[in-house]
Amino acid sequence: GPDPIGSSGFHRTVLKNGSPYCYMKVCLVLQDQETRLNAVELKSLIITGLKDLHGEVGAALPFDVLKFDEGSLTAVLRVCSGGLVKLWSSLTLQGYYQSQACAFRVLQVSRFNL
Amino acid sequence: MVPHILSFARYLLCEVNVSDMNDLFLLNDQAVAAAVKAAVARIHGDYGAALCSIRFQVKYLNAHTGIVFLRFPKSCYKLLWSALPFITHINSRGQKIPCFLNCLHVGGTIRTCQKFLIRYNTQQLHRMLPKCKNEGEKQQIRQAILGCFIPGGNKEACEDDIECEEDEGE
Repeated sequence: GPDPIGSSGFHRTVLKNGSPYCYMKVCLVLQDQETRLNAVELKSLIITGLKDLHGEVGAALPFDVLKFDEGSLTAVLRVCSGGLVKLWSSLTLQGYYQSQACAFRVLQVSRFNL
Repeated sequence: MVPHILSFARYLLCEVNVSDMNDLFLLNDQAVAAAVKAAVARIHGDYGAALCSIRFQVKYLNAHTGIVFLRFPKSCYKLLWSALPFITHINSRGQKIPCFLNCLHVGGTIRTCQKFLIRYNTQQLHRMLPKCKNEGEKQQIRQAILGCFIPGGNKEACEDDIECEEDEGE
């Protein structure tokens, strides 16, 4: 069953027969807050992270950047359900963008379009 | 009596195929291990390399036939197995030997792999018999076939094998 809503504000609901895709709302936090990326550079960064952690198989994982707000560096990603663990783990361990430190904050994950 | 096994393994019986049979003598277990680790790191990244760094071993290598036993943990052997077809060469003693790996058998213990290898070699010898050019070669092969047996017999350790060969429901 779902975890009770605790002090961390994290609430997890697991649906067994959801859609074939998973949607993730993520925010990229950079050391230099003035730096800007476009959607292509963001996708390239994520593919680099997948390739480092999960190799050629990871880099071939199909995912889409559905929405990207260049101002706040917030994006909605879509990946097939079987690839969620690979994508999420790659985002977690992605520590650098072009020699400056960075971090992906995962704001929301859902089986339905955000 | 069932032995208490702390970590299950899968033994992959593979054949190293080379174009020039003499190249096999350049191989050693470190060279094969390095080639497997490099392929796993390339195909499955840091995650695969970490899986390979513990409890992966080349258990046996026969430089005459190119047969090698690879030991993987049972929990991740399918992932590591999937990287083996991407091996295109093995580096040994400064030479780059083009080859590919052919997986013949997966067993839960070295013993089951040995039993398979003996049956396989016997079948290969039977296939060679009609191709013999003279009676002398035929006699040699017949002697070799009669000499095929597993040391220690087939009866013991059957329970071990069944215990180890059970696959997790996946």
